[in-house]
Amino acid sequence: MAYFLELLISGALTGLMYSLVALGFVLIYKSAGVPNLAQGALVMTAGYAVWLVMAWGLNVWIAIPIAAAIMFGFGLVVERLLLRRMVGQPVIMVVMLTLGLEILLRGLVPGVLGSTPKPIDLGIDFAPIIIGDVFINRTSLYGGIVALLLVGASLLFFRTRLGTKLRAVSDDHVSSWAVGISVERAIGISWGLAGIAAVVAGALWGSSQGVDWTLSTLLFPAVAVVILGGVDSVPGVVVGGILVGVLGTVIPGYLDSVAGGSTRDVVTSLIILLTIMVRPFGIFGREDIERI
Amino acid sequence: MTFLRKLALTTALVAGLSAPVAAEDIKFGLLQDFTAVYTFVTGQYNQGQQDYLALANAEGILGEGNSVTAIVRDTGNQPQRGIEAYNRAKEEGAVLFDFLSTPVSAAILDQAQADKNVVITPAHGRGDASDGTVFPYVFPMMPTYWAQAANLIEHMKNNGGLQGKKIAIVHIDSPFGREPGPILQALSEQEGFEFQAFPYASPGNEQSAAWSEVRRYRPDYVLIWGAGGGQAVSVKTAIQNGIRPEQIHSVIWLAETDAANVGPAMKGVKRFEATAAGTDHAIIQRIQEKVIDAGKGSGDQANVGTSYYNLGVATMAVAVEAARLGLEGGQPLTGDTLKAGFEKIAGYDAEGLMPAVTYTAEDHQGGGAGRVSEWDGEKWVPVSDWHAAYPDLIRQVIEKSAAEYKAGH
Amino acid sequence: MFYRLSGTYHTSYEADRKLWKIPTDRWLVVAVLLLALLAPLYVSPLYLGSYVLPWVIWSAAALSLTLLMGLAGQLHFGFAAVMAIGAYASIHLVRFGVPFELALLLSGLIAAVIGAVFGGAALRVKGLYLVMATLAMQYLVDWVVVNVPAISGGAHATLRTPAVSFLFMPVESLAARYWLALGWAVLLTVFFMNVKRTSFGRALVAIRDKDFAAAVIGVDPFKTKLMAFFTSSFMGGVTGAILAFCFYRAVTPEQFGFNVSIQLVAMVLVGGLGSVIGSWLGAGFVLLAPIFLTNLVSGLAAAGWVPVSQNFLSHLPLMIYGAMIIGFLLLEPLGLAKIYDNIRKYFLVWPFRHARS
Repeated sequence: MAYFLELLISGALTGLMYSLVALGFVLIYKSAGVPNLAQGALVMTAGYAVWLVMAWGLNVWIAIPIAAAIMFGFGLVVERLLLRRMVGQPVIMVVMLTLGLEILLRGLVPGVLGSTPKPIDLGIDFAPIIIGDVFINRTSLYGGIVALLLVGASLLFFRTRLGTKLRAVSDDHVSSWAVGISVERAIGISWGLAGIAAVVAGALWGSSQGVDWTLSTLLFPAVAVVILGGVDSVPGVVVGGILVGVLGTVIPGYLDSVAGGSTRDVVTSLIILLTIMVRPFGIFGREDIERI
Repeated sequence: MTFLRKLALTTALVAGLSAPVAAEDIKFGLLQDFTAVYTFVTGQYNQGQQDYLALANAEGILGEGNSVTAIVRDTGNQPQRGIEAYNRAKEEGAVLFDFLSTPVSAAILDQAQADKNVVITPAHGRGDASDGTVFPYVFPMMPTYWAQAANLIEHMKNNGGLQGKKIAIVHIDSPFGREPGPILQALSEQEGFEFQAFPYASPGNEQSAAWSEVRRYRPDYVLIWGAGGGQAVSVKTAIQNGIRPEQIHSVIWLAETDAANVGPAMKGVKRFEATAAGTDHAIIQRIQEKVIDAGKGSGDQANVGTSYYNLGVATMAVAVEAARLGLEGGQPLTGDTLKAGFEKIAGYDAEGLMPAVTYTAEDHQGGGAGRVSEWDGEKWVPVSDWHAAYPDLIRQVIEKSAAEYKAGH
Repeated sequence: MFYRLSGTYHTSYEADRKLWKIPTDRWLVVAVLLLALLAPLYVSPLYLGSYVLPWVIWSAAALSLTLLMGLAGQLHFGFAAVMAIGAYASIHLVRFGVPFELALLLSGLIAAVIGAVFGGAALRVKGLYLVMATLAMQYLVDWVVVNVPAISGGAHATLRTPAVSFLFMPVESLAARYWLALGWAVLLTVFFMNVKRTSFGRALVAIRDKDFAAAVIGVDPFKTKLMAFFTSSFMGGVTGAILAFCFYRAVTPEQFGFNVSIQLVAMVLVGGLGSVIGSWLGAGFVLLAPIFLTNLVSGLAAAGWVPVSQNFLSHLPLMIYGAMIIGFLLLEPLGLAKIYDNIRKYFLVWPFRHARS
């Protein structure tokens, strides 16, 4: 029982850490309708940014805001230079463009800054929190809390004046234009916010595994999270994240030693497939109504 | 077919630029993965290789007038790019190849054998290639993963005993991660310990499920079998689950970068090593003096003396020694003479950088000796002597697997 | 002047339905085909083995995928998995004693059946969701291959292809392997050019343009989408088998990873969706551009022209590759096929400026 509880808790916390990666994806999809498959690479870039600022001799807690500012600007630039020109193009073009961006970043960032894993020390204590026979990993605990805070902040943000504009843009581009909202600016800001989310994800994941290009492989679990939660739902990120994390930890926890292989990726793949077959728009997502 | 013409032009350009300088220029193809799965090691490893070749040229180890050049290319761990790079380097006259990528090596092995070109597969590739009768032109050169597992197990036996103990092997879910399986199976019967395997999903940035299970298994020793960032995650998650660093034993892929990543908690973790780390070795000192200080180094000076750098130095030290012996007969260096040179190497230890190796026509592993070292908070300190563990068992496994390969599998 | 006419003006429906509307096009194709057939005679083994041969095979793969993505409009980001099924099936069938010719067909069928099952997702969703569903399929197939030693070939997960012969020609020498691959690629090309003119091809296009509208005019979307996945997976499966037997000859799971799927999609897009010539050009471009860049950059570095670190140098082709994908999508979304078409049109009416296709 303690084993189950421990898997449950560590799964939920890990899942929330995936939510951090997924949040950026949802922010962009919600306002721009663009599936950003480069979010994993953005997380990697953000991890490198934090490491780089720390290499200037700054404390990590100062480095993270600076990196966030850098990544916000980077998000704006990406949107302005690349995505704005893809408006009205079929989804395959946008998907491939973000994948092209992913390849570019995976070459550029490690190529310039070095490809051996870089450490980020957040100063989190190694010793686990022990409750009975249940061990809780501090890094994922803090990561989970940060994820919840960030999602909460995003929800609040969507209630502000700017956030309302973003919601209007996500409803309908043309109508937003008609009432005088700058759609381009709104979409640009959503990219910038995704950059900030990437910094948090990059710092936390980077502190646990080191910063190198493998951070971009976090895209796959994040995709499962957004598909399950709904591609345009911010609360869906939390619920999807917890579900993906719990299923991806509890099931391997019981099956792996029997199956002789890690079943986590299978669980993640099946979550994607089953969600798409049963409820394609996810738990909280808005169903698209297609007009002929 | 303007495309073909363009192709020919580009080739002419490239070939013209990298035309041989010296008359007796030996070429080694270091066609490795700088951009994908092996990035954690390739940079330092390749830097060590290039720096040693520069040293060999500066000291004229290969005899007067002879020099050795590295052809360095990125394959991105993609077999089709590896095949292209191999064919091109072959055209340029390379006689020795190092791919440092298991999939690329696998895709080229048969072709290289047919071409009679030497392929070295240190710390990657097929373990059964150690059987020189089946793989005449392939040299694993260093302890195979099987030999590494045996060495670590023997270290546990000598430091705490194995009878009735429990070993957890936590590995990445890939063919590489499953490689120590057969050795553990055979040794558990012989030495009376029990073991269980705990796989985690590639690339290993999240392993909590596996380690929760490991903790409940209450192992006396833990073997971690992964590579890259996943190794740091393994060590961290192990310690968080109450496993003492002293209990953790790693495959060769655990180095200074991982220690920097884990932090002070890493102290006491043990790993297998095939070459000594640090700058306190005659060869590394001379590289520092004649290559680095002369401004001819191929990369960041801070990497000199790291584990993977020294590993690269050792591979080229052996290869250059083989080339030197191969040239002794007075014939030009081809795959055949180089192979003969390798098989003449006896008791070579790169001036103390590695255990003495001896290659024969049957044994291309060179004995399989290695040692265990421990992270003391700043550097790797050896805790056992260079030796080969359970050599008969390893040989048996190698021959069995090689026989299966020969039968067409 | 070069094409000896001033544009295409058809006077009958037969003329408009012709495969080659301009005689010069036909002669061009015949010439290229002859050149390709004779390639083993005049291309050095280096170029034949590591450039032309993989180019031909990947063109076949791109053609298979563009049938699905370009004609039927169904996105597929797990096509390497389909090829993996074909490759592994063919090797195991040949080892089991099935003649190679039959094994090729059977491996195609196996890939087609499994591919069509996964294509089932397409009956429910499209666009982004289909991308994700096929992506999940890629991971599932990868997992099965890696985790079932009976499939992947035991401890080292390397499976060597047995010696085989195709219609009494041993598939051993480079030329023989090249001709077999070329034969398959040409067959696919001919099929693709003709399928556009059949009712099946027109049904695919109708589905692509709007599946509801297609249903209204009597095209069954269920059947047509499944048929699209089935046909394309069959082609992909056989191509995977050809790739294993003619090019790699030792199969490992990494040869069919997720990045290969991305590469295939890049080939189709860079070439131009749904275009035959685009598939060939795109495959050549995406496959060979990184190789040329690597060699060029290394050559320049050896000459001391680019004084940067080895690490940067080896990442440079990756950057340029990513930048080129972005560049094509932004500047020429219709791909290399469109660029070829522009050039062709220019010469069609040269020395005048304006042309009708």
